[in-house]
Amino acid sequence: MSEQLNGKKIIQIIFSEYLVLVGIAMLVLVTAILEPKFLSPQNLNNVMRQFGPLIMVALGMTFVIIGGFIDLSVAGMLSLIAVVTISLIEPLGQVPALLIGLCLGAFCGYLNSVLVVISGAMTQAEALFITYGMSVVYGGLALIFSGGSTKQMSGIKADTSLFKEIGSGNIGILSVSFVMFLGILVLLYVFQNKTFMGRAICLTGGNKTAAKLAGIPINRSIAFIYTISGFMTALGAIVLFSRVTTASPVIGKGYETNAILAVVVGGTTLVGGKGSVLRTVLGTLLVILMSNCLNLLGVSVYMQYIMKGAILILAIWLDNRKQL
Amino acid sequence: MEKKKQEVILSIKDVSKSFPGVKALDQVSIDVLRGTVHGVVGENGAGKSTLMKILSGVFQKESGTVIFDGETIKNTSPIQSMKSGLSIIYQELNLVNTMSVGENIYLGRFREMDGMRGTHTKAKELLESIGCTIDTYKLVSELSVSEKQMVEITKALSFDSKLIIMDEPSSSLTADEMKELVNIIHHLKEQGISIIYISHKLDEIFDFCDIVTVMRDGHVIDTKPTSAFTRSDMIAKMVGRTIENEYPERPHCVGETLLEVRSLNTNKLHDISFELKKGEILGLVGLVGAGRTEIVRAIFGADKVKGQQLFIDGKLVKINKPIDAKNAGMALVPEDRKLQGLVLPFSVEANISMASFEKMTKFGFLKRSTEKEIAERQVKALGVKTPSIKTKVKSLSGGNQQKCIVGRWLENNPRILILDEPTRGIDVGAKYEIYVLMKQIAESGGSVILISSELPEVLNMSNRVLTINEGRITGEFNPQAVTPDQIMEKALGLGKEELKS
Repeated sequence: MSEQLNGKKIIQIIFSEYLVLVGIAMLVLVTAILEPKFLSPQNLNNVMRQFGPLIMVALGMTFVIIGGFIDLSVAGMLSLIAVVTISLIEPLGQVPALLIGLCLGAFCGYLNSVLVVISGAMTQAEALFITYGMSVVYGGLALIFSGGSTKQMSGIKADTSLFKEIGSGNIGILSVSFVMFLGILVLLYVFQNKTFMGRAICLTGGNKTAAKLAGIPINRSIAFIYTISGFMTALGAIVLFSRVTTASPVIGKGYETNAILAVVVGGTTLVGGKGSVLRTVLGTLLVILMSNCLNLLGVSVYMQYIMKGAILILAIWLDNRKQL
Repeated sequence: MEKKKQEVILSIKDVSKSFPGVKALDQVSIDVLRGTVHGVVGENGAGKSTLMKILSGVFQKESGTVIFDGETIKNTSPIQSMKSGLSIIYQELNLVNTMSVGENIYLGRFREMDGMRGTHTKAKELLESIGCTIDTYKLVSELSVSEKQMVEITKALSFDSKLIIMDEPSSSLTADEMKELVNIIHHLKEQGISIIYISHKLDEIFDFCDIVTVMRDGHVIDTKPTSAFTRSDMIAKMVGRTIENEYPERPHCVGETLLEVRSLNTNKLHDISFELKKGEILGLVGLVGAGRTEIVRAIFGADKVKGQQLFIDGKLVKINKPIDAKNAGMALVPEDRKLQGLVLPFSVEANISMASFEKMTKFGFLKRSTEKEIAERQVKALGVKTPSIKTKVKSLSGGNQQKCIVGRWLENNPRILILDEPTRGIDVGAKYEIYVLMKQIAESGGSVILISSELPEVLNMSNRVLTINEGRITGEFNPQAVTPDQIMEKALGLGKEELKS
């Protein structure tokens, strides 16, 4: 008897809390039946590699959204970091280029937080416009830096083995980028759930006024969330250009909306305070699988835009219904 | 057996409702008679609001029957219950501020009223029927709170309501406005309309309620005519034990100066200087917006100041942020517990441990066991009624929520505890406990700053009272040696000249 009840309860919880799992299962099932190529090793490997850049950006975005803000600057920032890092490989060598790229991401993110704090922005809407502005700025810098041209990794005379490894290497059956993701996921999970700053970020997102009055350093929370987002965007940029072996100054276009889509579809609420990096993994998986499946099924890219928009709105609608 | 004489308009029988972890209503039965004012009293969390929300269709009951005007009510919705003649007027009024009075009364029914002209004519008639002369073309945003309430009542009448539920209608009314409300209630009664009147203010209950139901912990404890109750009897039934006094005896242990505030200036405050002694409870009295809250927020580092000097134990301290104030031994329980105090979607545990991070953090990592200890210690010490420390704080009643915020600060053993409206919307039992707590803190060498709109509370608990008007301190009193009138005069900023004339 009780086991039956438990089963029922588990199904209920899956439907109310993890609807994204149901979505992933259906997507996989339908595509596997209609297009057997979907389950081929090449395609699965392909999915794993496409997963890499977006999950990095989305994991960073998760903290920004849990903290009650939003970061649209990742699109421009991703382009900037990609072109800067790839350009620095030849003059400086690959390890310094990688480190500079990561530092640049963290710095750009920190700069965002400084602007948000200085302007006294306390709402998501204000942060949305500030970071949109910064996205345009970073995108402009990327164009200036690259002179508008796309940088090819193949044209670089120096050693690029590290980036090749990130882009196409394997460890066992897993891609290098996937292993990087697993390591970072553990770190971020521990950060959110076990550390003071992780808790401070959640409380800041839950109620900024109350957090401030209780002596929680909310400005430091804001600095952390944007710096993490910037750093993760840098990782995303590196994984992305390593995979495609080129970096155009508009390579990051669309990453901000896809990352927000992944976070929200995963079930992290836009209201702030609640959410988890694990949910974002599921959300990202759904977003990546969806475009992969639709591509295999021959659905046009334009149609996919419409579907993504619809899913984002659906996710927000479901989340708001849950809060009633 | 007197009940048989009069017709029962609403019969609630064995109604139960539970929320996760809480049995909100347990086999509740109440009969409301036609043309009576039926008072419902009880502590926060007693189940009054839940019951009213079931009647109006916001919640659905789990078991039991509700018979209204001879008809059994099953799953109803707010609009259905309104149309069947049962209206509810919530504490936070539900009017459209940007529309006129007439439009609000007949909102959504303009066509049935033959257009806007008909709407305003009928609205005027209805307003006059309760002796009210508000212009129906006036915008609701221009009305006072009591006028808005009358519009709500009129709106209820427009649905031919036979029963009107009023949920704490008096909480934002002045004494004169209250008199008008009482007149209207008598008026409605004469027309055969029944009223369920929910209030924490026992004076009102004894003033005009015919029958009173006392609720506690989801049960109906007693229902009888008001005249059969005594005040202490009613309080005892509400809290489940006898409370001899509404206030404990005030502490008498005022020592030397602990905190000195010198020339505090902000946009709203002008040259505020005062001292707070060890073991003292200092009351701040003034109208809402006079600057009481601004003073404590400035001291606590929550607002920007143009200049202030703070001395604790004679030493100058710099306070720019709330965290500085916390480290200097101060604690602030803010006036709006939901917006400024609690992180509502979080657990009781997380809400209590919020201000004690130093204790539960090691090398930047949280020590969950310490956090649990902190939460359990405060829940126990303050008697917070919660199913578990993992329960979300938003599901607790107002009094228990307030205790969570107080507990958050007590964990730090603050030397200066600032309480801004600590008992607003809290029942008698929890109030008393908060008074005792204030006393304990004062007796253990700490100091308390108490802000309250309830003058009796300030007069009975404080050792010294400061009156504030338009951002200035206008008087200092020994509350044992003055009358409430003398204090109110200063708080209202009345000069001697005006008094003479």
